[in-house]
Amino acid sequence: MRTMQKATFAIANTCAVLAALYVAFAANLERPYWAMFSVFVIAKPISGAVRSKATFRLTGTLVGAAMAVFLVPPLVQAPALLCLAVSIWVGLCVYCSVLDRTPRSYAFMLAGYTVAIVGFSVVNTPESVFDTAVARVEEIGLGIICGAVAHSVIFPQSVTDELKERIKTLVRSCAQWIADLPPQPCHLVDLLAQRRFATAVTESHLLYTHVAFETSDAPRARLLMRTLEERIAVLLPRASAVQRNLAALSAVGAKPAALTSLIAQVSRWAHALVREGKCSAGAMREQSELQQQCAAALKRLDCSPPGWPVLLEQSAIVELSELTQALADCSRLAAALEEPNPRLPVALEKTAKRSGSRALSADRGLGLLSGIAAACATLIACVLWIGGSWPEGLVAAQFAAIGASLFAALDNPAEPILPAVAGILLALPFAALYEFALFPRIHGFPSLALVLSPALLLFSFMQTFRRLEGTALVLAIAFSGALALAPSYQADFASFLNTNAAEIVGLLLAGVAILALRTVDPLWNARRLSRAGWQSLSRLARHPRPSFERWLIQMFDRLGLIAVRLVGTKRESTALREIDALQDLRVGLGIDALRKVGTSPGAANGTTTQALLEAIARAYEERLRGARDRASAAVAQHIDTEIAAVCAQPPSATRHAALAALTSLRLELLPNRAPHAALGRPA
Amino acid sequence: MIGEVDLFGVFFPAVLPLAVLAFVSSLIMRVILRRVGFYRFIWHAGLFDTALYLVTLCAFVLATRSVTP
Repeated sequence: MRTMQKATFAIANTCAVLAALYVAFAANLERPYWAMFSVFVIAKPISGAVRSKATFRLTGTLVGAAMAVFLVPPLVQAPALLCLAVSIWVGLCVYCSVLDRTPRSYAFMLAGYTVAIVGFSVVNTPESVFDTAVARVEEIGLGIICGAVAHSVIFPQSVTDELKERIKTLVRSCAQWIADLPPQPCHLVDLLAQRRFATAVTESHLLYTHVAFETSDAPRARLLMRTLEERIAVLLPRASAVQRNLAALSAVGAKPAALTSLIAQVSRWAHALVREGKCSAGAMREQSELQQQCAAALKRLDCSPPGWPVLLEQSAIVELSELTQALADCSRLAAALEEPNPRLPVALEKTAKRSGSRALSADRGLGLLSGIAAACATLIACVLWIGGSWPEGLVAAQFAAIGASLFAALDNPAEPILPAVAGILLALPFAALYEFALFPRIHGFPSLALVLSPALLLFSFMQTFRRLEGTALVLAIAFSGALALAPSYQADFASFLNTNAAEIVGLLLAGVAILALRTVDPLWNARRLSRAGWQSLSRLARHPRPSFERWLIQMFDRLGLIAVRLVGTKRESTALREIDALQDLRVGLGIDALRKVGTSPGAANGTTTQALLEAIARAYEERLRGARDRASAAVAQHIDTEIAAVCAQPPSATRHAALAALTSLRLELLPNRAPHAALGRPA
Repeated sequence: MIGEVDLFGVFFPAVLPLAVLAFVSSLIMRVILRRVGFYRFIWHAGLFDTALYLVTLCAFVLATRSVTP
C-alpha cells in the first residue's frame, strides 16, 4: 500500500468519524462515542472488506440487542443467573464464530458480546433495557453506515487488484516449486511448501468472500475461484506422489529411463511458465505435447513384461501427466481472472459445476475450548464485580466478553493482548489531554471537529500499518470510550481512572482464560487435526457424497493447519511420523480415481471396487483406534488381488488409471513390502 | 413521511422501513445492472451505488407522501 493510499484512507476515515459524530449529536443520541469507534472498528483499506464487516457487525448487533432484551427483564432479580446466562450465550456465540472461520464469524462474535455490553450496563435500571438496546443498535448502525459510505465513495480501493496479485504470485510460486522439485521427498521442505500453499489458498479464499460486498463494478468469478483453489490443492499431492514412486523405484533398484526424461521435460516446461509469467499459447501447446508423450510412454510400458517396477513407473507417469494438467489449468484460470469479464475456460466448466460450495474445515474441539474460555472469563469478571461490590466491575465483565470473543479465533491469543493493553495505556494521556485541557475551552461542533481531527487522522493512519493495526484500533476505541463524548460535558477524574482500570482487568482476564484453557501443545493439535482427516477419509471412501472436490478443498485447508503447527515444533517423536496429511490427500485422490474408473462404462469390476473402498474405510477407522498395521495389511491383500485382476484386462486408458490408483493406494497403505504372490513375479 | 409506523407495538419513524425497502430494491437493481454490463460506463461505482440508493429512497418517500398525509 502506497503512502498516498494510506493518506486517502485516513482522510476518508476521519470524514466518516466526524459525520457519525455530527449526526449523533444532531439527533441527540445517548452515547455518540459508540458511533465514533464503530467507524474505527470496521475501517479497512479495502472497500469490500469494510462493507462486509459493516453488514456482519450490524447483523450481529441486532441479534445481540434482541437477545439482551429477551434475557434481562426475567433474570434481573437474580444477578447470579443473569451472569450465568450471559456467559453461556457469549460462549455459545464464540463457539459458532470459531467454527465459521470466514468473515461471517464476526456476526456471531457481535451477537455474543453485545448481550454483555447491553445487559450488564442496565442491571441497576432494568426498565431501560429496551432503550439501551435501541440506542446501541442506532449508534452502531450510524457509525457503520457512515464508515461504509465514506470508504466506498472517497477513494475506494477494490479488493480485486490485491486478489489478482496474490493469485498470480501463488500460481507462479507453484510453478517454480514444481520446476525445482527434488527427486526425493524431504520432510521439512515439504512441510514449508504445504504451509505456504495451503495458507495462501485459504487466505485468497477469505479475500474472495469480500468480493460479494464490493462495489458493483468488481467482477464476480465464484466458479473460477473455486476451481482454481481445487486445482492448486491437487498440485502438492500429485507432485509428492511422483517423488514417492521415484523413491520406491530406486528402493527396488530399477532405473526408469522414460520417467526420468519426462520429469526433466516437465521441469523445463514449468521453468518456461515461470519465466513468461503468464499462460501463453506456446506453453499450452507444449503442455498438450507433454500429455501425448506421457500417453505414449504408458503404451510402451504396456509391452514390457508386467511387474512391480513397471507398475510403479506407469503410476508415476499418470501422476506426472495429471500434475502438468493441473498446473496448466491453474495458470489458465489465473489468466482468466485477469480479464475484465472473467469467464471459466470451457474445458473446466464440468468440474466447476460439480465442486459445490466450499466450506473450510471446522474444528469443533478448538471451538468448544474457546467457547468455554470466553464463558469462564465473563463469569470470573462477574464474580469480581458482584462479589467484590466493585461498581466499575461491569466494565471489566464487558471487556472480558469482548476480549475473549475477539481473541478466540487467533492462534496465539496472548499476541494481541500486549498491543491492546499498550493501546489503552496510550489512550489515557491522549484522552486526559482532550478531556481536561481542551474540551473545557470549546463550544459547538465545528471547534470539536477541528480539535479532534488531528487525533483521528493519526489513529486512522496508524491503522494502515500491519504492525500498528491492533494498537491503533484499541487506541481509537479506548480513546473514544475514555472521552465518552456525551451531549453535555462532565469530568470526573476518579471514575475516569476506575473505568480504564476495569477495561484492562477485563482484557487481562480474557487473555488469562484463553491462555489457560486454549493453549494446547501444537503437536497434540496437529494430531487431532490429522485424526479428523482420517475420519473424513473413511467417510469419503464409504459415501460418494458430498462431492470429492469439497473433501479435497477441506482436506487441503486441514493440511495447511497441520503444517503450520508442525513447522513450529522442533521435536522429533513417534507421533510426528504418524501425521502425514499429504499422504491422506494422496489416498483421497486414489479413492476418487478408483471410483471414477468403477463407474465408467467399460469397467467390469464395479463390485470389487466397492468392496475395496469399504476395506479402506475400515482401515482408517482401525487407524483411528490405534491399530494401524493390521488393518492396512488386510487392505493390501485386497489391492493385490485387484491389481492382478486389472492386469489381466486388455490395455486401455481406464486400465492405466485403475492400475495407477491401485499402485498408489498400495504404496500408501503398506509402503515397506512390495506385492508378490498376486503379481506372479516377486520383486 | 412525518407519521410513524406501528410494528408490534413499537413505533418507528415512517422513513425507516422505507429506507430498508429502498436499500433492498437498490441491491436488486445493482445486480440487474451488473448482469447487463452497465457498470462499464460508470467511472466511480461506489458513488453511483450511493446515488442510486438516495434516488430510490427519495422516490419512495415522494410516492408515499401522497398516501400518508
